[in-house]
Amino acid sequence: MTLRSLTTRLSLSAAVAALAFGADTGPVAAQETLRMLSWQVEDPAYGPWWRGIIEEFEAVHPDVTIEFTNVPRDSYADQMTTLFASGSPPEIVHLASFEYPNFAELGWLENLDPWIEEAGLDLDGWAGQGKCEWNGDTVCLMLLYFGTINAYNEAMFEEAGLKVPTTYEEHLEAARALTKDTDGDGFIDQYGVGLSTAGGPGQYLSEVLSYVVDAGGNWSNEQGEPTLDTPEMIEALTRWKTLISENLTPLDLASGDVRQLFIEGKIAQRVDGPWLYGIMQNAEPEILAQLKLAAPPFHPPMGGSSNIIAMPSEIDDATKQLVWDFIEITASEEQQRKFAELGASPAPMPGAVPDDIEASVPHFDLLVETMNEAAEAGVDRMPTGFEVNFNEFSKMIQEEIQRMLIDDLDPAETAARMQERAAAL
Amino acid sequence: MARQTADIGIARGSSPPPVASIYRSRWFDFNLSRPGNQHKLGYILLLPALLLIAAIIAYPLILSIDLSLQDVKIARIGSGDQPWTLVNYQRLFASAEFWHSCWVTIRLVLLVTTSCFIIGMGTALLLNQVFKGRKLARLLIAIPWAIPEVVAVIGFWWIFDSSFGVVNWTLVTLGIVERPIAWFSSGAGAFFVVTVVMVWKGYPFVSIMLLAGLQSIPEEFYEAARVDGATAWQRFLNITLPCLSPVLGPTLVLVMLWVFRDFSVIYVLTQGGPINATETLGIMTYEQAFSFFKMGYAAAIGVVTLVICAVAARFMVRRVAQPLY
Repeated sequence: MTLRSLTTRLSLSAAVAALAFGADTGPVAAQETLRMLSWQVEDPAYGPWWRGIIEEFEAVHPDVTIEFTNVPRDSYADQMTTLFASGSPPEIVHLASFEYPNFAELGWLENLDPWIEEAGLDLDGWAGQGKCEWNGDTVCLMLLYFGTINAYNEAMFEEAGLKVPTTYEEHLEAARALTKDTDGDGFIDQYGVGLSTAGGPGQYLSEVLSYVVDAGGNWSNEQGEPTLDTPEMIEALTRWKTLISENLTPLDLASGDVRQLFIEGKIAQRVDGPWLYGIMQNAEPEILAQLKLAAPPFHPPMGGSSNIIAMPSEIDDATKQLVWDFIEITASEEQQRKFAELGASPAPMPGAVPDDIEASVPHFDLLVETMNEAAEAGVDRMPTGFEVNFNEFSKMIQEEIQRMLIDDLDPAETAARMQERAAAL
Repeated sequence: MARQTADIGIARGSSPPPVASIYRSRWFDFNLSRPGNQHKLGYILLLPALLLIAAIIAYPLILSIDLSLQDVKIARIGSGDQPWTLVNYQRLFASAEFWHSCWVTIRLVLLVTTSCFIIGMGTALLLNQVFKGRKLARLLIAIPWAIPEVVAVIGFWWIFDSSFGVVNWTLVTLGIVERPIAWFSSGAGAFFVVTVVMVWKGYPFVSIMLLAGLQSIPEEFYEAARVDGATAWQRFLNITLPCLSPVLGPTLVLVMLWVFRDFSVIYVLTQGGPINATETLGIMTYEQAFSFFKMGYAAAIGVVTLVICAVAARFMVRRVAQPLY
C-alpha cells in the first residue's frame, strides 16, 4: 500500500465515521442559541433580573441557550444598527424606547398584536405601553416607565433653614442659597442643584424637560406639531438660563458625574429617575444618612418610557415562537414583581408589587405616585411626531439652548429659532 | 530541449507542448529564469497581497461610493440597491453644516499639525544633543504617544473640568482669570481643549521621526558650515531642515491625516459641540450615520473627506518631501 492510498483510505474512514456518529449526536447539533444584546448585563439591579428570566426560559426550553451579551450604552445604537443592517439582528431585541422607532419604521420589528392576542396577554394599564404602538401595530413591550424623584441632602437644607422645595420658585431659592464656597478658598465647592449638560442631546432634552412641563409647555402637541415658541416654552428656557448662568449647577458634567457629586455631598438636590436610589447606596455612611427622597418640585413631574423588548420581523416562525415565549416570561406577574423588587422601581404591570416592598424600597409609594402623575399628564421624553428623528430633534434643541447661553440670547428668540428648525425637520 | 521542459514544470514522460507555443505566448511563458521574465515573478508573489488589499480596502471603498449615490437611511447589505442619484452630494454641498465642519477640520489640521511640528522639532533637536539622562528623556517623550487616546482624553477632561479642574484652579489662584472658565460650554474653549489634547498626543510621533532623521545627517555638513562661519540659525535653515525634508514630508502627511480622521479625542471630549464648534468631518460622518441614520448622506461625507485627504496628502508629499541635497 502506497502512502497516497493509505491517506485516501484513512480520509474515507474518517468521513464515514463522522457521518455515523453525526447521526447519533443529532440532539446536540440541534441545540439552538438565541442572542440578546443589552447594556444592562452588568447592571446591579436589572442584570440579575434578566438572568432570572433567562434561567426560567432555559428551564422550559432545555435545548435553547440564551447568549446574553453586554454592549456599552454609548455604542449600543451603533451595534444594533450594524446588526440589523447586516441582516443578522439578535433574536431578542432590547432597545431604548427612543431608539426603536427607527427600526420599526423600516419594518424590522415584528407586529406583536397576533402574539399578544393568542397568548391572551392583558396589557391594559401597562405603564407606557402606548409608546410601543407604531403605525397602529404593537411592536414592543414597554419594560419601564418612570416618574422622577427629587433627591436632596437634608443636612444642607436644615443648615440653611430651608424646607424641601415643592415648587420651582422654592427649588430656585434653595439652589441659590445652597450654592456656596464652603471653605473660603474662592471656589464654589457646593452646588444648589445638579444638572447634567454633557451627556449627549437625549440626556440634555430630559434635563430641560422637567422645567418645560412645570412651566406648562411641551416639545410638541398630540398631533405631532412642534410647540416650541409658546409662552410656556419661553418661561421654561428662562428658568434653565437662570440656573446655568447663575452657576447654580456644576457645568459640563454627564449624568453619572452629577450623581457621583451628589453622593459625595457636593450637590444639594438632584431630580432623577428611580435608579438614583441604588446609586445613593454607594455614598459614605455619614453622607448616606443625609440623603433623602421627596416628590420633585415640578408639576407634573418629568417622566418617560425607558426601554423596550421586541422581536425582529425577519426570523423564522419557530424562532419567533421561542422569542415570544421569552417575552411572555418577561411580562409574567412573577417577573414583574421581581422587577419592582430588584429595580427598586414600579414595574409596568399594574399591581405587580411584592408584599414586602416597603422593606427593600421604602420610597416605593413615592415612585408610584410620580409615575402615575407623569403618565396621567402624558409626559414622555420622546416628543410626539419626532420619534423617528429623535436624535436630530434633541441635538437641535441642545444646540439652540447652548447658543442662548453662550451668546446670552433672549429666550423668546431661541424659542422662535427652535420652532423654525423643528418645522424644517 | 530537455532543459526547457524541466523549466516549465512538465513531468518526464509526458509529451511536451510545441516549442513555438512556449516562446510565442507572452503571458503563459513561465520560464522565470529568463532575464526578461523576472519581473513576472514579482507580480506573482505580490498577487495574494494585492487580492487581500482589494478585499479590505477597495471593496469597502466601492461600497461607500455606491452607498453615497443612493438616497437611503439605514443601508442593508443584500436588500437591493436604490437607483443612483446625486441627491446626497447636492444636499451636502448646499449644507451650511458641511462647510462649517470643513472649516473646523481645516483649522484643527493646521493648528495641530503646525504645533506638533514646532514642539516635535524642538524636542527632537533637544534629544539629539548629548546630555546626561538622554535615554530616559527619549523614553519619556514617547509616553503621550503610547497612552491610549481614550485614557488620555478622560485625564484631560478632568484637568479642564469647569468646576473642579486643576487648570481653572491654577488660573484663578494665579490671578490670570477672575472666575473659572467653562471650557466645554464655549466654542472657543472646547476647540482649545481639543487642540491641546491632540497636540499632546501627536507631537511625540513627530519628535521620534525627526530624531531619526537628525541622526542620519552627516556631521561633516555641520563642520563645513562652521568653518564657513555659519550661525546656528543658518545651519538649521540650510542644513537641518533640507536634510530632514524626506522624513518631514511623510511625517507631516501622517500627522495631518491622523488629525483629519481622528474621532475618539473629539467625540469623548465634546461630541462635536458646543454648537458644532468642534464638529469635524469625521464627527459629522459618524453623527449622520449612527445618530441620524442617514447612511447614504454619511457615505457622501466620507467620500468627500477621502478626496480632500488624498489631494492634501499628494500636495504635501510633493511639496515637502523633495530633498534639497
